[in-house]
Amino acid sequence: MLLFAGLTAVVFGAVGKGTHRDRALYGVKVFAEFVVIGLALAWLLYFLPF
Amino acid sequence: MAYKQNVMERNEDAETPASAWLLGLAAWAVPGVGHLLQGKWLRGLLLGGAVWSMFIIGFLFGGHLFAPVGKEHGIAGLMQVPPMIADLGTGLFYVLCWTGGFGFTENARLVTYEYGNTFLMVAGLLNYLVMLDAFDIAVRRKA
Repeated sequence: MLLFAGLTAVVFGAVGKGTHRDRALYGVKVFAEFVVIGLALAWLLYFLPF
Repeated sequence: MAYKQNVMERNEDAETPASAWLLGLAAWAVPGVGHLLQGKWLRGLLLGGAVWSMFIIGFLFGGHLFAPVGKEHGIAGLMQVPPMIADLGTGLFYVLCWTGGFGFTENARLVTYEYGNTFLMVAGLLNYLVMLDAFDIAVRRKA
């Protein structure tokens, strides 16, 4: 998941708009969102009985 | 606002140069090359490296590429089309695998099989984004 999030964030960050700093921040934000949402969904599905 | 509108009008009026289409094609064919050819070294290496890595990791995880199936599968065969379009985004990788008959065999016994498929499809989808970015740079819509 971290690998997937990292590689995808690199692409999203690099094709983003703005300065280098804006793009880097956007990449970090995308990475964090992938990881947090992935973990949240994993826990949610863990408690589902079916 | 007026400046932005002027830029948009100028872009709409200007004819797209043939080199932009060729750069877009090159960007699709080999991930990262569209940016490298325009002197965007860091971006080209980052984008190309990410797409290439996803493609290789996809195969290492046991994923496979999707291809259209015959009519014997009926309407269910249509389910192969969306993932095939995603895989096709990897450009020459897909074409070479297709012509060489490599990478289309399912290996569903592997635990990481579905992860591999996802990596391969996302590699293709991301390369479509990379291709559009290279095209936008070529027509000066983007720096």
